[in-house]
Amino acid sequence: MVGGVPYGVKLLSVVLVAAIAIFMLVPLMVVIGSSVSASEFLVFPPRGLSLRWYGEVLQSDAYLSAAKTSVQLALVTVVVSVAIGTSAAIALTMFRFPGGSFLSALFLSPLILPSLIFAIGLLMVFSAYADGPSFTGLVVGHVVITLPYVIRTVSAALADMDPHLDEASRMMGASWWQRYLLVILPQCRTGMAAGAFFVFNISFDDAVVALFMRAPDVETLPMRIYSSLEFSPDPSVAAVSTIMIGITIVLVLVLNRVFGLARIM
Amino acid sequence: MSNLNISTISKTFGSQQVLNNISLDIADRSFVALLGPSGCGKSTLLRLIAGLEHPNGGQIHLDGQDITRLPPERRDIALMFQSYALMPHMTVFENVRFPLRMKDSAPKSEQAEHVRNALAQVQLDSFADRYPRQLSGGQQQRVALARAIVAEPKVLLLDEPLSNLDARLREDMQVELKRLHRKLDLTTVFVTHDQTEALALADQVVLMNKGIIEQIDTPERMYARPRTVFAAKFIGAANVIEIELRDIAGERCGVLNDGTVLDPSPDVELPAGRYKFMLRQEAIIFNPKGKNTVRLEGTIETQNFLGSVTRSIIRIGNQKISAVTPAKNTPVDGSQVTFGWNLPDFLPLQD
Repeated sequence: MVGGVPYGVKLLSVVLVAAIAIFMLVPLMVVIGSSVSASEFLVFPPRGLSLRWYGEVLQSDAYLSAAKTSVQLALVTVVVSVAIGTSAAIALTMFRFPGGSFLSALFLSPLILPSLIFAIGLLMVFSAYADGPSFTGLVVGHVVITLPYVIRTVSAALADMDPHLDEASRMMGASWWQRYLLVILPQCRTGMAAGAFFVFNISFDDAVVALFMRAPDVETLPMRIYSSLEFSPDPSVAAVSTIMIGITIVLVLVLNRVFGLARIM
Repeated sequence: MSNLNISTISKTFGSQQVLNNISLDIADRSFVALLGPSGCGKSTLLRLIAGLEHPNGGQIHLDGQDITRLPPERRDIALMFQSYALMPHMTVFENVRFPLRMKDSAPKSEQAEHVRNALAQVQLDSFADRYPRQLSGGQQQRVALARAIVAEPKVLLLDEPLSNLDARLREDMQVELKRLHRKLDLTTVFVTHDQTEALALADQVVLMNKGIIEQIDTPERMYARPRTVFAAKFIGAANVIEIELRDIAGERCGVLNDGTVLDPSPDVELPAGRYKFMLRQEAIIFNPKGKNTVRLEGTIETQNFLGSVTRSIIRIGNQKISAVTPAKNTPVDGSQVTFGWNLPDFLPLQD
């Protein structure tokens, strides 16, 4: 402990930390708790104990196709976002060029800009210049809102790189594409993995862009959950959510095992 | 053969003149130190030789071929970076093979043979399968060295080769670098800000200051006969003593600031005026005898015992002179002493 801190301040900080932990964990507990309820309705505490809603979810065509759409969307978004974000991060960290700092700010702006405003704009653009919202439109939207995460994680990985690596490989006779493919890109690996993790989670979880870009034939899992909650609030919603929590935890564990989260976040 | 000729090189970054009309010939198989304080232009000169920067004026020739505009990969020059620049995702073997893989079309088995030879040169044969992060700093440096020599370059450049090592390892590496240079007979140029490193390793020291070359000499001559005040102060510790040369009773005499007349007077042929002279700390003798020896009276003001030697600060008038003498022959702190130096040890310097 830090010495010389008044007792009252210590007490306050303990209370605050406890409150934050409680507010983070209690909603998850409630969701997980209600998912194992035997009741017909979404209630907490659960009445009776049953895994029937997990069965319902896994047999529901609506949930399964929505999950499939969400996974496809998230995977396509990961590929596009990591490809663009990594290239952008390499360009922004390794070169000085006019407009560089402006571009850097522009790429990171989705972190600050309300995604609601962006989603409205995106909808208008796709309505005016394409055939309205579509899977492609969702991919574009998700790439934009996830790009800052990839740029940040890859830039952080590049900042750790030996600054002379590129010059050294040049002196040893590597051509420009060999320098990128054999020397620089491998240094981005941890950043790309961390970025991909964020991208997948954000895309899989997004409701705002998906709400505006809702096409008749494209329904993502968050949209499905939202409409279920609106029209037939049974514990299957909680069961789906619990499965999503589980997938996230597994992803985090895998990522931590392979790369070490402390190094890349 | 690999003679490196640098003629009238200039380099500016923005409005800053980093190198000002530098000319330097580096002989085949020599071991040259570019020595100077930070910002003197030594690293820029190394990067120009490597081809990582291009000069604003002047030429660089390697064995008669103009390489001034040649890209770095076509110069046959290897550079070991201060940070080593090892590829963290490659094993020691893959790191050392990298230059061969990029430049050479030799079959893989032949390349492997070269890699093993290079690793043997730096005594790392048994570490081929490790990753750089699994090695100590000294071992990483030897990998970088093996990688620099594996393609048998005409010139080897080393950027601050010892600065990332601790004191003990640094001494080992000095021995190692000297041994390797003798064995490979490779023209080697290294940059350092540490004069002891330059003196210990190089057979030719190029002393740089503010974008120009102050002096080029062997380490021995550089130490014994520095030409300028800067050289005297930068290489080893030296007293710089200001005196006035004037004629007293028809004879040219050296006079200290407090009016003390040096006897015998400095053995130089210079017009009357004020001059700075160098006197090495270890050139000072207590209780001197002999004809060609200057003799003065002073007081020991402070003393530091350094083991084999003692450093004494002697005050004479308003002048302080630092002396390093064998510990057992040094008078005690605070005592009145007679001291002096042999006449040839008192050298005039240019400003």
